[in-house]
Amino acid sequence: MTSGKKTKATRNSVAAARSSVVASKPKPWGTIIAVIAVLGLAGGVFGYAFTQIQANNAKEAALAKWKPSDTNKDPSTQLAGIVIKDYKGSRHVEPTQRVAYDQTPAFGGPHDSQWADCTGVVYDKAVRTENMVHGLEHGAVWIAYNPDQVKDDALNKLKARAEGQPYTMLSPFPGLDKPISLQSWGHQLKVDNADDERIDQFISSLRRNPNTYPEVGASCENSQFLSNPAPFVAEKPGPDAVPMDGGKDDSATEGQQGQPSTPPTSGSGSTPPSS
Amino acid sequence: MTSPETSESERPSGVARTLVITAAVLAVLLLGAAIGLLVKLPGSTSSAAPASGSVDVGFCQDMAVHHLQGIQMANIARDRSTDPDIRQLAFDIASTQLEQVGRMKGWLMMWNEHEQSPDGVYMAWMNDAGIHGHGATTATPGQPLMPGMATTEELTKLRGLSGRDLEVYFLQLMIRHHVGGAPMAEYAARQAGQPFVRTLADNMLKSQTSELDVMKDYLAKRGAAPLP
Repeated sequence: MTSGKKTKATRNSVAAARSSVVASKPKPWGTIIAVIAVLGLAGGVFGYAFTQIQANNAKEAALAKWKPSDTNKDPSTQLAGIVIKDYKGSRHVEPTQRVAYDQTPAFGGPHDSQWADCTGVVYDKAVRTENMVHGLEHGAVWIAYNPDQVKDDALNKLKARAEGQPYTMLSPFPGLDKPISLQSWGHQLKVDNADDERIDQFISSLRRNPNTYPEVGASCENSQFLSNPAPFVAEKPGPDAVPMDGGKDDSATEGQQGQPSTPPTSGSGSTPPSS
Repeated sequence: MTSPETSESERPSGVARTLVITAAVLAVLLLGAAIGLLVKLPGSTSSAAPASGSVDVGFCQDMAVHHLQGIQMANIARDRSTDPDIRQLAFDIASTQLEQVGRMKGWLMMWNEHEQSPDGVYMAWMNDAGIHGHGATTATPGQPLMPGMATTEELTKLRGLSGRDLEVYFLQLMIRHHVGGAPMAEYAARQAGQPFVRTLADNMLKSQTSELDVMKDYLAKRGAAPLP
């Protein structure tokens, strides 16, 4: 209260009666020390919290770069080499039919009514593309590798990213033009080795990203398929193959990126195939 | 208080007073800012959305993955078993856990978080060693992702069984699954910041405890024992 007043020795004699008391009063060290202590504490708290927040923000920013959110709906657009195509949720084909996919490996378009089980599955043998594409429609990431180029250690690194991890599948893809190719619905990234940091960035950006796959909430389970996976077909599809537009009046054509629509043809897709 | 002061002392005390007032204002502001920061520290339980790596986010992500495998095993049992008790139990487990997964994923979406660990590291949020010294696990091929979870091999075996063998193995795997997931739920029931997360975790503990009794009973009826 009075501690801030500089009542030095230059006091007038008129106030002598009072000054005799005031002048003899020592400097209020206790108050000064208390004020400094409080300020020091406040400064310490402020400094600590500030650095914590800074560090946290930096960490969050690094993570958020590859994390889908309201403001960053498709982080994969920042990935070098990413290929993005706008596929609608698509019609189903029969187990005997082929689809004339426009990409290799395919990452969207018509597909078999049976989705390849994507509950964190490592397929040892190559799998029919028409089934894998349906897994992508359910929000999975498909890691394909060239079995002649990716083995042992590198293959184990891919397995660690897939085995047991929901919404992920790994399979060999004979004749793949790069050692590794990552697919999610409408997205593909090809990389040369299993240590490429873009693999994890791709997974972080796209696996079950509600903004980028058509059937939000769909299941990856298909134990029937898992017990007996449809094998990969190496021959090119013939002239009777189903074209990318489905071949019919594909009237359900909304489906834009960032605004997944529920395709009418997919109604049966959400029912377990075994029931 | 200032009236008796002479003109001689007026100038220096004016400057001093300004300094003191400025310092006081700054001090008050600093105190206010510090208190404000204390209240809003990252990870603080009072903030609207829990931070990445918090108990709330970690529990929802990891328990969703743990649950999904429980659902998977229950669906196999329901598809392949002909025993009404087993089929009913399997339906109960699958539908309850799927509903709970939906809740957790809904919250994660509101919080702008991944549905599951993006880097294959699990249970890193259970870092209070005073409660359960579990520590994080990292995905390794051939190993279960989290305690109680089945390996790919065990799931393949389950899919290949039928009849009593299927029932026994399903019960054994599911008992281990429930027991293994309990520490996560216990941790979250106590440590999560959001009351609705704590409530869900607590519900899981209670309902799974009674399910465990049922399954142990079913297992005993079939003359088998839980997995070691």
